[in-house]
Amino acid sequence: MCGASGSWPEAGIPRPGRISPLTGLTAVVAAIVVTTAVGHWSLSLAVLLAAAVATAAARTARRVWSAAALILLPFAASLLLTHGLFFPEGHTVLWAWGPARLTVEGLGFAGAMLLRGAVLVVLLLALSFSIRPADVMALSAKYEVPAQLAFVLCSTLTIAPDISRRAQRIREAQQLRGLHTGTSLPARAASFRALAVPLLLSVMNDAGQRAAALEVRGFGGPAARTSLREVPDSRLQAVFRWTVAAGLPVFLVLWFGPGWGGSAP
Amino acid sequence: MSSSSLTLPEAGQAATRNRRILEILGAAAIAGTYIYLVLNQPADIASGPGSASALIALSGFLAGAILLVVAVLPTLPTTTVVLIPVALVLNIVMGQFVGSTLVPFYLDAIGTVLIAVLAGPAAGAATGALSSIVWSFFNPTVLPFAAGAALIGFLAGLAARHGFFRRFYLAPVAGFITGVLAGVVSAPVAAFVFGGTSGLATGAIVSAFRAMGDSLLAAITKQALISDPMDKAIVFTLVALLVYALPRRLTLQFPFVRRFRVLAGSRDS
Repeated sequence: MCGASGSWPEAGIPRPGRISPLTGLTAVVAAIVVTTAVGHWSLSLAVLLAAAVATAAARTARRVWSAAALILLPFAASLLLTHGLFFPEGHTVLWAWGPARLTVEGLGFAGAMLLRGAVLVVLLLALSFSIRPADVMALSAKYEVPAQLAFVLCSTLTIAPDISRRAQRIREAQQLRGLHTGTSLPARAASFRALAVPLLLSVMNDAGQRAAALEVRGFGGPAARTSLREVPDSRLQAVFRWTVAAGLPVFLVLWFGPGWGGSAP
Repeated sequence: MSSSSLTLPEAGQAATRNRRILEILGAAAIAGTYIYLVLNQPADIASGPGSASALIALSGFLAGAILLVVAVLPTLPTTTVVLIPVALVLNIVMGQFVGSTLVPFYLDAIGTVLIAVLAGPAAGAATGALSSIVWSFFNPTVLPFAAGAALIGFLAGLAARHGFFRRFYLAPVAGFITGVLAGVVSAPVAAFVFGGTSGLATGAIVSAFRAMGDSLLAAITKQALISDPMDKAIVFTLVALLVYALPRRLTLQFPFVRRFRVLAGSRDS
């Protein structure tokens, strides 16, 4: 049992896995907002270092950082192309070839943007790899979030592998029936239609059956929902969330307000 | 007088009013954020990462999209709600696939436009915003574009309602116009939050405009005005192909299709 008075110690720092998704979300939002507001590479690096430690403790480091690399490598290449080579505002030229000019200012801008983007990507991925869909459903019942929203969030995450398998089966069946799979544009369009239409038909039929099943169970009705699942939480975490929620606007007002060092728009 | 207690109109009216307020707040947040960013084009974009503008773009567009989702989703029939996850998977799979190629398109709105054509502008807007939110579980860089995705769904629904899917040649026209507006809304996010774009092919177009001396926001807006209209014209055409390939008994199950004669041959019920 994972109840509030379960076997985990009630006091002390919550262990990874015993942290409420709401606490994680609050911490991630606060870190992203503060890092973006300050806009300094040293803070971004510090946050990324903290994320590395946190993901290592939660044993999600390999998954989070490999997924982040897949997103950040093209992003870095795009930034280098856009700002590293073409930055009209740059003056300190390191290398030039035709219209391309590698400038210190352009590299600095691209680096700052990359670090800020990396904070957003790594922290949100760390959060999504630590959340269980069942906890999202339980929290939505607890806080009376519209049932439709929780259903769509959780259903999308769970039906994706099923649709992928179904698409594979349809592709194999069409190929057995002699589907032309050439590389020309008409052949690709024909194979897209031959795959997409049966797939769409099959998922729409399933959706119709699911809708009927959900409706007879009172889905989306006005009655309050309950959940058997107990999402881990504690008073310490609640205090943390409220403190951050109250402190973040104060920080932003002070940071961007007159007389402070922040960069106002 | 006495009939009111039989139909419980007060609770229903209150809920409708609350949802309407949320819708207005969501639309106002998106429009206000865009107007603020364009009118106060920050000079700090090239001299630094533009932290205030990034926060305003991130929070304003995202808050607006979430408000729209919360307002619209409970009003949708269950048959539409259960179809939304399918549309989201379609968006994510196509978006991930095309995003990994060197083509300056996205094709990540097929599911959104499909729902909009079958269930209307509100369902399309909710699907678009939800698509960005759910996709961000795998790729957080799409999260700030939630408002743009909602706009695409809303405009696709409007186009369907006004008969742009009744004639095959009108679908890409509607897609083109939707792409222009979507590109204009998405450009400030790409500029202030990401300093350009996260794709290599689109980045090459931005850098070409930068090499011609354009400011960063101008270059990104021009890139968006090249990529988005063509992308949406293709998406709208593909969706038109798909909905006409589906059996009539399926498409006519949707009251929106029947009521507004969305497809050629569909009649009022």
